[in-house]
Amino acid sequence: MLFILLAALPPLHGRAQATATAPHLTVQLVVPPAQIYPGQHFTAGLYFKLAPGWHVYWSNAGDSGEPPAIQWMLPPGITAGAMQFPAPQRLPLGPLMDFGYENQVLFPIPVHVASDFKPAGSAATLGGKVTWLVCREVCIPGKATLLVNRPALAGAPTSPGNIAADAQLIDQFRNTLPQPLPASDQAKFQTTPTGFRLTVQTGDHEASAEFFPFDTGILANAAPQPVQPFGNGIKIALTKDQNLNSTPQQLHGVLVLSNGRAYEIHATPGTLALSAASPSSSGMLRIILLAFVGGMILNLMPCVFPVLFLKGLALVQSSSEERHKIRLHGLVYTLGILVSFWAIVGVLLALRAAGHNFGWGFQFQSPLFLVLLSLLLFFLGLSLAGQFEIGLSLTSAGSGLAAKQGYTGSFFTGVLAVVVATPCTAPFMGAAIGFALTRSAVTSIAVFTAIALGLAAPYLLLAFNPTWTRLLPRPGAWMEVLKQAVSIPIFGTVIWLVWVFNQTAAAGSLVFLLSAFLLLAIAGWILGRWPAKAPATVAALLVLAAAVAVPAWAIHTLTPTLASRAQDAVWQPFSPQLVAKYRAEGKPIFVDFTASWCLSCQVNERVVLDRPEVQNALKSSGVELIRADWTRHDQTIADALTALGRDGVPTYALYPANPNDPPHLLPEVLTPGIVIRALDQLKSGASSTATSGL
Amino acid sequence: MIRRITLTLAFALALPAFAARVGKQAPAFTGMDTHGHMHSLSQYRGKYVVLEWTNKDCPYTRAQYDSGNMQALQKEWTARGVVWLTILSSAPGHQGYMTAAQEDAWIKKVHADPTAAILDPTGTIGMAYGAKTTPHMFVINPEGKLIYDGAIDDHPTTDPFDVDKAHNYVTDALSEAMAGKSVATAYTRPYGCSVKYATEGE
Repeated sequence: MLFILLAALPPLHGRAQATATAPHLTVQLVVPPAQIYPGQHFTAGLYFKLAPGWHVYWSNAGDSGEPPAIQWMLPPGITAGAMQFPAPQRLPLGPLMDFGYENQVLFPIPVHVASDFKPAGSAATLGGKVTWLVCREVCIPGKATLLVNRPALAGAPTSPGNIAADAQLIDQFRNTLPQPLPASDQAKFQTTPTGFRLTVQTGDHEASAEFFPFDTGILANAAPQPVQPFGNGIKIALTKDQNLNSTPQQLHGVLVLSNGRAYEIHATPGTLALSAASPSSSGMLRIILLAFVGGMILNLMPCVFPVLFLKGLALVQSSSEERHKIRLHGLVYTLGILVSFWAIVGVLLALRAAGHNFGWGFQFQSPLFLVLLSLLLFFLGLSLAGQFEIGLSLTSAGSGLAAKQGYTGSFFTGVLAVVVATPCTAPFMGAAIGFALTRSAVTSIAVFTAIALGLAAPYLLLAFNPTWTRLLPRPGAWMEVLKQAVSIPIFGTVIWLVWVFNQTAAAGSLVFLLSAFLLLAIAGWILGRWPAKAPATVAALLVLAAAVAVPAWAIHTLTPTLASRAQDAVWQPFSPQLVAKYRAEGKPIFVDFTASWCLSCQVNERVVLDRPEVQNALKSSGVELIRADWTRHDQTIADALTALGRDGVPTYALYPANPNDPPHLLPEVLTPGIVIRALDQLKSGASSTATSGL
Repeated sequence: MIRRITLTLAFALALPAFAARVGKQAPAFTGMDTHGHMHSLSQYRGKYVVLEWTNKDCPYTRAQYDSGNMQALQKEWTARGVVWLTILSSAPGHQGYMTAAQEDAWIKKVHADPTAAILDPTGTIGMAYGAKTTPHMFVINPEGKLIYDGAIDDHPTTDPFDVDKAHNYVTDALSEAMAGKSVATAYTRPYGCSVKYATEGE
């Protein structure tokens, strides 16, 4: 209706009018020069100011819509070039995706006045018929005739002047135009089964990127564009238009990088080797410090506590030894931790090189690993509880090594500390490891070394500080009591491991693991009843072998059933498509990346997320709840974590409603306040975005 | 909740995985028209079928109807045995949603002449085809293959007076196919207003 009214308006002759007000927008023809004269070059502009939520379109409007256009009416001798389009933004509409502008936009237009321009009068009228389509949910086409009068001169004036307001507008929007890609940078693309992999080398670490194709029919507009950041560029996965049958010669479009930098690129077929370059030294130092602190905090995590108890016990036994010996024990323990971390980082780097994205804690997805660790700890527990003495006859397994006196014992206690600490990705750790794994091998090793040193630090300090050593209690009968008491957290850890095993392993295999514990108890009894007797040791070793073989065989034989953890009614199971779909619809999303072997995750879920006030806040904020259960290895979840710059759980990602806003990561240790505040910010953030610039 | 999940699945699956592709079998569908009759794509095997996505309040669609162009196309091709199905995928409460009676009245008012107008308020058919705009046109050949997907013509306009300047792609596709030739322009970017699908939670 408005359209008809507007269309019926007579062209505005008589008085030249540079600005028109139409439903949901005002549009202005911006002409900075104060005079028009022969040989002049200047940039004019078409400036749209839009009501909140309404948008006009880019040159490729996406799935629907049309870009604005101007039909010039210019005096002879004056020519206008093509309208230029600033870098657009993605505008999702349900399952569709448009490209355009919200709030305000200025389209620059180069204008040239010929050198033989002859003014027809004292003034020249510049302008034309402007047409546009403005949409929010519905679309309203509009048109207006915009005209600007300027004094016309027969020759260039001595001091050409500018209309301040117009010049200011042009200046204000100068930076919104995409720039040509600097000569030092490169863009290449490869064809993939689903589309293209665009590789852009800028020399800087690029955290985010969006690609807008100039041509229609090349890409599926609504498809998300997952990125892979590198130290000197970025890779973007693009989905092709389903009707595209041939491979284009080049990908021509606008690339928008973080902080609004936009480049016009012509990507040619090929690939570029992007390096995981090291970041600035100050950033590096901060990360290393963070990793060190994270390592220290690992000492306090429940899953490393039993080992600390054990180590404290060893220290108590050592307190009568000479000081330099204690120091050596501390150093050897540190070495044990360091070597383990280097081994882990080596494996991770090798796996990464092999193209796998395994995350921290991944080892806990292997039932066999769980079996071996629970058996080891159970056997250790039996010994600590006093059933038999380790070291008298048995020196084979890691448990024996860890509990062994002397430097070997210290070394393997260090190793054990690392192994057991794995599932507890302490606060800061996820970020540090995520950082490390997206960077160069050198950075990764440095970060992991810092974590290792942090983990070893408390014991090392104790070993090196004589005063603290003197504070330790004297050896005595209480040591046996303490040793036996230590078996309690060890058995507790065993229960937890068995529970995790039960979540990951095949349905019937639990009974085999429990039977293996019985075999261990029998072996322990043999070792305790006939200590240091060769036949007894052999018998015990045979029983031990059986204890390992039984559950290993069970895992191997019983086909794993994919009985995923029961999903709560409110939590939807994770899939990248689901996230993309909600993002495309402009829905806020909360993704809980979790796993049953991750204790911090369980605590957060039970103590914070399941709490009624948090549940209510989540419900009332309209956030879609998605749970990504990583209990078993799932490549799509590993990919999603990598995209967030993380490598482990817990990770909590809150996606704002605006699909162009990046997700916000919550800390690994949640409190109801953190969650509720983040949800409040989401709401206020959304409304401020909608009104900004108007 | 169930409905929400169903919708979620519909969105997640329909676009773009199962969307129609030129040269491939057109997605099967069944829909109810304004008279309560059911129409299945399969029942029109052996005939050319044109699918026209519409939203009477969309300025691009209006330009086609105000100029009389769409009605003329419908009359011309249905007279030549083509099945012309006008499809309304606007969700209730959104622009272009019509009850059967309203749509019928509107068809009479503008003298439209499709074989039938199919009501698709859930957007099921729209999403199966990946219908993006109004007007978005699809042409299906007697073997059930999709032979054209895209804009109605080469002149994206909301001005009824501009419509006759345009080159009509649907006419091209049908004429070429009926003459035993392959369709030269089988896929174009559909222009117009976005299809007003239900947003989630409705």
